[in-house]
Amino acid sequence: MFILSIIKDTVAVHPSHFGLPPQQAITNELNKKYANRVLHDVGLCMCVFDLAEVGEGKVRYGDGFLWYKVVFRLAVFRPFPSEVILAKVKSSDEDGIRLTLGFFDDVYVPRIFLPEPSAFDPNERAHFWVADPDSAISDLLDTPLTSRMYIDAGEVVRVRVEADEFYDDEPGPPKATEGVMANGQAKEREGRRASYTITCSIAEQGLGPVPWWKNAGMEVMDEEG
Amino acid sequence: MEVINPRSALLSNYEVLALLRELESDHLAKTRTALRIKKEEEASGFPNKSHVVQEEVLQNLRTIEIEAIQYLSAIYQPTVNQTEAGLTQLTKSLASYDLTKAEKLQIVNLAPTEPVELYVIIEELEDRFGDKIDGMLSTVRSSLSEPAAEVLDGAGEGEAQPEQFVYSEDAYMEEQPWEPDENDVVFDDVGEGVGIEGDLDVDDD
Repeated sequence: MFILSIIKDTVAVHPSHFGLPPQQAITNELNKKYANRVLHDVGLCMCVFDLAEVGEGKVRYGDGFLWYKVVFRLAVFRPFPSEVILAKVKSSDEDGIRLTLGFFDDVYVPRIFLPEPSAFDPNERAHFWVADPDSAISDLLDTPLTSRMYIDAGEVVRVRVEADEFYDDEPGPPKATEGVMANGQAKEREGRRASYTITCSIAEQGLGPVPWWKNAGMEVMDEEG
Repeated sequence: MEVINPRSALLSNYEVLALLRELESDHLAKTRTALRIKKEEEASGFPNKSHVVQEEVLQNLRTIEIEAIQYLSAIYQPTVNQTEAGLTQLTKSLASYDLTKAEKLQIVNLAPTEPVELYVIIEELEDRFGDKIDGMLSTVRSSLSEPAAEVLDGAGEGEAQPEQFVYSEDAYMEEQPWEPDENDVVFDDVGEGVGIEGDLDVDDD
């Protein structure tokens, strides 16, 4: 779920931080720049793991900063495809389930990756799975409440990562019209996508809410697997 | 900025948690010292303006630090019962099985104690390890510091309690041996599996 990435960068240390040991000052600058940000095609940065190489601090003409060339290792959140992780259900709608890891919220289980047969109950606002394989999809909502296994909000689910996707929505060159309009910023927000999303699946034996599989012995596996 | 290697090594949840807790305790210690200095100055009656550099608080780092610690030390995570010694032991004993790096990492992260959980993590479990499943599960169980039954009971609640934060002194004592520069903190990849996912350290497809 977490990886180490090696990254090379140049950081500037402000004179007010010259009192700190350089190593600490550089780490702070790097953490300020990377922590809790998504790096395209790398993942969600957590924090600096360690510094590998630091060049000599140089002063450039024009400012009093010390500029360091640094190679460092970064702890990054990037689960690999097919990895199994634990997450909590954040919300559900007709199209699927949204999960959260606390520090990362853009984890989705689309409808096709829900266990078969399952349906969305609009009254409970939750998906449920019917363990009885005989019932047809059409009358799932008529099944007795007792046979439904709900995936409620707040429940801990075990999911398999199927895919992850990065979007790089860089704001293009400012358009003349936008600069004039006061609500330009509000418009920009509408079309925004999460820069990093993970698609997960629970359509498999052993996946789904953790309590489902608690104490489930081998018999279940043999019957349904 | 230049990405030299986006995936140079894999980290286990426990290692990340230890790293974040170290940051957290550093931060707490610093705040405490700053507060003490301030109080002492006020008491002495000489407000000294030109003293030690105040380190700024890195908001982004604090956010992810706290949220990730919450997730990683939640009651449904096995990290609660894991110790560094236990994990070293576990990775060593897992080397005797023919597992891929990714499978070993997940065993360490999820600490499966039931066959169902193992089925999810390992591909074609029965064909590859038909008779070794119980051995594997007991290896995992012995690496956890407390009986695993308690963890599972907790998981049944489906609730992550923020008070699950282990900030007690002994929790930090355990992490004393942690040194970021040591090789052993990187996920132990001795006896990497054959082929299938052995290429994880190169670029993701």
